[in-house]
Amino acid sequence: MSEKSPLLELENVSKDFGNVRALQNVSTKVVAGQVTCVLGDNGAGKSTFIKIISGLHKPSGGKYKFEGHEVAFESPREARALGIATVYQDLAMAPLMSVWRNFFLGSEPVRRFGPINLLDTKFARKTAKEEMAKLGIDVRDIDQPVGTLSGGERQSVAIARAVYFGARVLILDEPTSALGVRQSDLVLGYVRAAAARDLGVILITHNPQHALPVGDRFLILNRGQSVGQFEKADLSYERLIELMSGRVHAA
Amino acid sequence: MSEVDGLTPTKTGDERITYRGPIKRLLVSPEIGALIGAVVVWAFFWGNGDKFGTAGSTANFLDVAAPLGIMAVTVALLMIGGEFDLSAGVMTGASGVTIALMAKYFTDGGISLWICIPAAFLLAGCVGWWNGFLVNRTGLPSFIVTLGSFFVIKGANLVFSKRINSLVNVSDVDKAHGYGFFKAVLGGENKFGDMKYRDVIFLVGGLLFAALMILGFMEQALVRRAQRSNTHFLLALVGVAAAIFGVLTLHRTDSVNGNTLAGVVGLIGTVVAIVFYARARFDSREKVVGSLPVASKKFLGLGLLGVLVASFSGQLFDRNEERVMLQWMPLWMRFVVAIAAGALPLVITIRSFMRGDVERRGRVIASLIVRLPIICLVSLTGIVSLFQLTTVQAVRAVLITVAGVGAATCFYQARRAAGKSSTKWFINIGVLMTVAFVFVAFTLRADSSAPRFRGGIFTSLLLASALALATTLVEASHRSRTKADEAADQLGRRMVLLGVVIGAIALSVRLLLSDGVFRMSVFWWMFFTAVGAFVLTKTKYGNWIFAVGGNKDAARATGVPADKVKTALFMATSLMGAFVGAMILMRLNSVQAQQGDGQEFEYIIAAVVGGNLMTGGYGSVVGASLGALIMAVSKNGIPAAQWNQDGRFIFLGAVLLVAVLVNNYVRKKANEQR
Repeated sequence: MSEKSPLLELENVSKDFGNVRALQNVSTKVVAGQVTCVLGDNGAGKSTFIKIISGLHKPSGGKYKFEGHEVAFESPREARALGIATVYQDLAMAPLMSVWRNFFLGSEPVRRFGPINLLDTKFARKTAKEEMAKLGIDVRDIDQPVGTLSGGERQSVAIARAVYFGARVLILDEPTSALGVRQSDLVLGYVRAAAARDLGVILITHNPQHALPVGDRFLILNRGQSVGQFEKADLSYERLIELMSGRVHAA
Repeated sequence: MSEVDGLTPTKTGDERITYRGPIKRLLVSPEIGALIGAVVVWAFFWGNGDKFGTAGSTANFLDVAAPLGIMAVTVALLMIGGEFDLSAGVMTGASGVTIALMAKYFTDGGISLWICIPAAFLLAGCVGWWNGFLVNRTGLPSFIVTLGSFFVIKGANLVFSKRINSLVNVSDVDKAHGYGFFKAVLGGENKFGDMKYRDVIFLVGGLLFAALMILGFMEQALVRRAQRSNTHFLLALVGVAAAIFGVLTLHRTDSVNGNTLAGVVGLIGTVVAIVFYARARFDSREKVVGSLPVASKKFLGLGLLGVLVASFSGQLFDRNEERVMLQWMPLWMRFVVAIAAGALPLVITIRSFMRGDVERRGRVIASLIVRLPIICLVSLTGIVSLFQLTTVQAVRAVLITVAGVGAATCFYQARRAAGKSSTKWFINIGVLMTVAFVFVAFTLRADSSAPRFRGGIFTSLLLASALALATTLVEASHRSRTKADEAADQLGRRMVLLGVVIGAIALSVRLLLSDGVFRMSVFWWMFFTAVGAFVLTKTKYGNWIFAVGGNKDAARATGVPADKVKTALFMATSLMGAFVGAMILMRLNSVQAQQGDGQEFEYIIAAVVGGNLMTGGYGSVVGASLGALIMAVSKNGIPAAQWNQDGRFIFLGAVLLVAVLVNNYVRKKANEQR
């Protein structure tokens, strides 16, 4: 697996906001089919980090490479066009709209009917259901409002949506933060399922218990600086906790 | 799951295979409350005053209500998009004033309407764009922004019409060039002499609607048989033939006996057709015999009581319609009674509060805070409106409506309770219900003084009892489906949809040509409702509107141009205001500068009554249109029933509250079942 060339690579990236150094010299890589976990306590710079990857911020220094080419995104739309999809905490969903309407929100399938563009509801319903089944999610009713789903199910809709719309790198911002134990397990299962479909996944979390079982590579941030980057084999739970809390520096 | 409890989908087993029946799915749609409300309010006033519901008065009030209906459509879209437009009302006035002033004063002979009307649209477009721009740019609530626009436009209307025309009323636009064309397009009335086709279309359309609805519901609710039973199918065809024969004969004969015979043949034919069609196509249920549950018995008793009240309410009062009721009661006593009635729920709640334990008290307080003002208001409204009932006929209509609907509900509950244990009793209750309603129908027919009321209630009760009988027989003898079956569901959905379309066309033809005059205003109302509903549910723009109102950040994050959608909605509202303004101007040939002032709240009320959520993200255009219809019906029905005209505001307030409560309740219940 590690022989694969990385999809996305960051080299010594930093970001300043005026005189605030939000991020300094952080490097990581994302490989297709693997999960890269970004760990850190509150204020460690995780949010700045994903905003750089998703194209919302331009890095102040360092290199951002996508498939070996250096890129500089002007807007999140450009990043999305390359297949870098972000699932934010609020999931970008309208709770009163049905699952399939949310699934295709912003990229609705249309069927030409003379001069009129019709919404292809049949295709949308069928595809939404199928795509979610591929990740192992069985929605009871594709017409039910997203607001009636459980937190984990809602996450899964967002993940399935990103996968369907051609994401190659999937950024998940704290997907388990508001969930209970069972729901978190479910979502982590979907994360693995997404990686198994040859996507590079970046999982942002502050919970080492969630990160350790699914991650292949771990980037640990503390106060805007990289504490280090580790492969799964090099890391134990205790060591991870120590590193995150900032008590021990990387050897 | 065993065969025994197959009548209603039960909640045992895996939750995932719980199947939502067609009725429940229908109940989640936002317009359902408005639909029920429209039918009830219509029926209420129709039974109440002889002047309501005649062809002429229907046409008139639809004509008057069209501006409200058209505006409700676009205001609903805007509301689903999460915003309000308080300037929508005065926009209609501004457009009228602009057109009229330009047409009369700008040059010597005035300007052609071909220039004035586009100019008014341009102005409206700019106002809408400005509203949208400000809301997007400043992030201020649209309530504030459009309130500003409202005052500015209101002032401008007055200033310009006074300064240029020296009056607040600009009239005589008809000399302007192009008046003929625009009058015909916007406010035209075209006579259609022959009413025969109108009635044929209405009748056939109505029958097709009913048939397709029943077939569609059966398709979605029952389990298909392995093989079609041809004997049963033939019998069903015989039933259809009998029904058609009955209807045709009814159309031709004039004698009482002939009519009765034809009616009976037609009804029996309908029941036979439905029952045997179900037999031919769907799997039957093994017979289950058991005793009748207590709940079922209670409801049966209540239902019979309701039937008795309904039957004898006609005979309680003498036939003199002109007699004014309640004159003997002095005014102060009416107030005392009204206040006592309003306070009654309060007393009951407080008593139940005093009795309960601590935990119960908490719950009671919570429900008290939410419900008390509403309960008091509704009961006060009910009592006050009772005092507005001044004719015997009105009291009778109220009594019959309440008792009849109550009885029907009780019978239905009894049926449901019986369905869980006993097929035999289920059928018996259905038959009993039918007989009871036929009895009511005949009593009323014999003893009401208003011929139309008598005939109408009679017919609808007979039809309702035939349908009740048919559905009871079908439900009792067939297994209901508990699992989803994509193909059958889709077929059923299509049938229902086709039925709704045919029914809507038939009803539209009937309303459009109610007195043989085709009114453009009513046409535009229907047209914009159809377009709005289409855009909202069948295009991607509709999806965007829902999303922008439901979660604007989400919409933006997924690539929906949220600001553009909002601006477009504001512009659509203002443009529609201009359209309505031009329409009213063409019809009246004059415009008041204050026209539309205060109407914006009526638009919003119509949209809310129609099931649109004030916070956005949920709603229906058809619902808003129905909401406007409810308001129009009550505005027209109250004077027709000879009530105090000012009472319509009380009525409107109660309708608003009740509609919203029913909408919320139904939606909550339906979603719980998922």
